[in-house]
Amino acid sequence: MNRKLLALAPLLVFVLLCVFLYQGLFANPRELQTGRIGQAMPTFNLPDLMDESKRWTDTDLKGEVYLLNVWGTWCPTCLAELGYLTELREQGVKIIGLYYEQGYDPDFDGQFDINALRDDVTSMLNRAGDPYQFNILDLKRTLALDLGVSGAPETFLVDKQGTILLHHTGDINPRVWRAKFAPLMQELQQ
Amino acid sequence: MRWVIFLVSLLITVSAFAEQDKYQFDNNEQAARFSELTKELRCPKCQNQNIADSDAVVAKDLRDKVLALVKDGKTKEEVIDYMIDRYGYFVHYDPPVTPATLVLWVLPVLIVVLGFGFIVLRQRKASVKQTWTTEDEALLAKLIEQNQRQEQN
Repeated sequence: MNRKLLALAPLLVFVLLCVFLYQGLFANPRELQTGRIGQAMPTFNLPDLMDESKRWTDTDLKGEVYLLNVWGTWCPTCLAELGYLTELREQGVKIIGLYYEQGYDPDFDGQFDINALRDDVTSMLNRAGDPYQFNILDLKRTLALDLGVSGAPETFLVDKQGTILLHHTGDINPRVWRAKFAPLMQELQQ
Repeated sequence: MRWVIFLVSLLITVSAFAEQDKYQFDNNEQAARFSELTKELRCPKCQNQNIADSDAVVAKDLRDKVLALVKDGKTKEEVIDYMIDRYGYFVHYDPPVTPATLVLWVLPVLIVVLGFGFIVLRQRKASVKQTWTTEDEALLAKLIEQNQRQEQN
């Protein structure tokens, strides 16, 4: 009896390995566990994308549940998710844009044309839908770095106290919304 | 003879690197720390490159941040902690022991221990003293005799 069991051991190991590797087929390597979940929104003081005289700080954002959506006009996936995000806005979800400017390099200061960017943003949002309450311009990507952003689009869910509950890498679509965001949003509204 | 030596000498090459860094440091220790850190920190965008190697925007931002922190006099551990705070354990090529990564440390040790255990167990089983009775002795003698008879025929 013992011997039979021992003979079955390689098969058992093989099956376990299969389960482990099969699961790996569906794992998303871009899904990162970043460090900021459960922590407060980092402090920042950044200008509005459309009006540099207006500045936003982390305390301005407190008091309401919101999504912070990192995006840029250079990013095709951001364009793809604008339609669905606009739908979410119509359903009453508050979405704030964090504009991630990829072309700006602090080492080559002065190469950046803010007016061209604003035109670009306005035309894109007119065309594809505007889900944003307002946009924060993070030209030097300092807030992006503090948030552990590696590119765009990425979206954070932040609660009324300013605690980051979720960091999603990639686009938001109905499937992602149902699976990741909707349960938390429901909990927050109760 | 002379030109044989000359030809052989052509086979010996020495690589020369002209390295001119665009980064300026106050001292060599800072330069060494910067180069060590950028090789050890992993680019969150292009996942199989370190930040020294990657051309992604985020990798450049991280390099610049490492540079600023190193120039501020931060130690290597402080810089790594700063990055882990923001980008998670993923950003460092040397993951710490956590419940999620425990299997990486435990499994190899477990396999070695089990393997040696198995060998020792088998050895012990094989070396157990066998009983040898007079009946066995008689049977052996008989078999030898039979064998010899067969060979003679």
